[in-house]
Amino acid sequence: MTTISRDELVREIEERKRAQAALQRSHEMLQVAEENAHLGSWEMDIPTGDSTWSNEFYRICGLEPGSVEPTAELGFQIIHPDDRESANEAVQESIKNREPYSIEKRIVRPDGEVRYVRSRGEISFDDAGNPKTLRGSFMDITEQVLAHMKLEAISTELMRSNEELEQFAYVASHDLQEPLRMITSYLQILQRQYKGQLDEEADEFIHYAVDGAVRMKRLINDLLVYSRVGTRGEPFASTDLEQCLKDSLHDLHFIIEESKATITHDPLPTIVADSGQLTQIFQNLISNAIKFRGEGLSCIHVGAVENANEWQIYVRDNGIGIAPQFFDRAFVIFERLHTDIETSGTGIGLAMCKKIIVRHGGSMWVESEPGEGATFYFTISKVCGDNYDGD
Amino acid sequence: MEIRPVEILLVEDNPGDVRLTQLALKENKIANNLHVAPDGVEALRFLLHEDEHADTPTPDVILLDLNMPRKDGREVLAEIKANNMLKRIPVVILTTSSAEEDILKSYDLHANCYITKPADFDQFIEVVQTIEGFWFSIVKLPSK
Repeated sequence: MTTISRDELVREIEERKRAQAALQRSHEMLQVAEENAHLGSWEMDIPTGDSTWSNEFYRICGLEPGSVEPTAELGFQIIHPDDRESANEAVQESIKNREPYSIEKRIVRPDGEVRYVRSRGEISFDDAGNPKTLRGSFMDITEQVLAHMKLEAISTELMRSNEELEQFAYVASHDLQEPLRMITSYLQILQRQYKGQLDEEADEFIHYAVDGAVRMKRLINDLLVYSRVGTRGEPFASTDLEQCLKDSLHDLHFIIEESKATITHDPLPTIVADSGQLTQIFQNLISNAIKFRGEGLSCIHVGAVENANEWQIYVRDNGIGIAPQFFDRAFVIFERLHTDIETSGTGIGLAMCKKIIVRHGGSMWVESEPGEGATFYFTISKVCGDNYDGD
Repeated sequence: MEIRPVEILLVEDNPGDVRLTQLALKENKIANNLHVAPDGVEALRFLLHEDEHADTPTPDVILLDLNMPRKDGREVLAEIKANNMLKRIPVVILTTSSAEEDILKSYDLHANCYITKPADFDQFIEVVQTIEGFWFSIVKLPSK
């Protein structure tokens, strides 16, 4: 027989106390963790239905911890009537396939409040292979579900609003064209019919009137195109930006030759985007650069900078530049900053570019000094999502 | 060789546009009689020789606007092309709309062609002359 010395006994008692304290602390930490995560846990003996519920489990179910005896029956009652069948099926599948399950379901608290929970469970089997214990966790995800529903509602509303706006723009532009035609046509008839009978001044007046009508027609058209950026855009696909640039230069070859502009570029990446719209952006930015070149020859450079999550593309020119106080206004529809320069634009170009970039989830801005040229930047995310829930 | 004037039915609700078409047709070498119906209902009464139209000639070509009150151009087009007596008459859709859906719908309903009215009067004259030149000089029309 071995005897334990008094010292050894004391040591053993101390150790046991420490172990108990550690266990107690561990238990408390788990409680706190469960509470913070709104995560309850439970255990059920399958043959008898005897269950254990953690404190947080009680709380999620709207009960005081320990206030009721946990049973399988009660656990089932707590589930929302419409979700009971699917919940049961999940457990049965899990037993049959010997795989853990994870489902979302609703529970109803004693006060009638409905909560959304994510329930995960795992079955363990006895030596004979019969299902013995069901252990699981139970997470209150009500806030997330409600937030998601709200987001979807907003998204649907936005889609509807966009469609309504496009309808409006279409109807407005269509209805506006007709009276415009009357104005233009009859002024021209006046010109013809009374040729020689009208003096030079009358001809001049008519000319301005007709010119106004022609410009208005172009404006209406541009407005229509602008309003359709989101809803008539192509779905995003792999897009070679160098090809977009080449296409835009091809479209602009006449003014490029005429102005003897020089255009250079860095290697440009392939991204996920609407290639037609990106080509429009290059076309807009480059034709602007040439238009606002000032006295000298236009030198334009298109570059690309790679960042962690996005590509930053820029178009730099050596033209007349823009004063910093006008940077924001440059992107506002119809705002024209240089009214003294003879341009055929309607002032919609940059606003449309910005709208396109926003549709691609990026941003657009300008850096410039008067007389020092301008650099227009835009970013495109490397993983692109369509911001408009349109086509 | 046609020795009689060409009979044209213009279905158009806008008096300004009717006048424009008249002026454009006046510039033409081909002799023509322009009949005007201000909407779809009147157009069909004219074509079916109802009441006061009992003795009016059947047109050689129909210039048809799309958006009109009472009965719009699409309905008129459908009825014309469904009528054995009328379906042979070429129908030229002449409208302000350049919308894809209007173009498709018109061709679906068997319009012979679709023209968007130009904003410019000089262009409009050209269009009207081209219509006449095409349908009455180049094209063979069915005999009445």
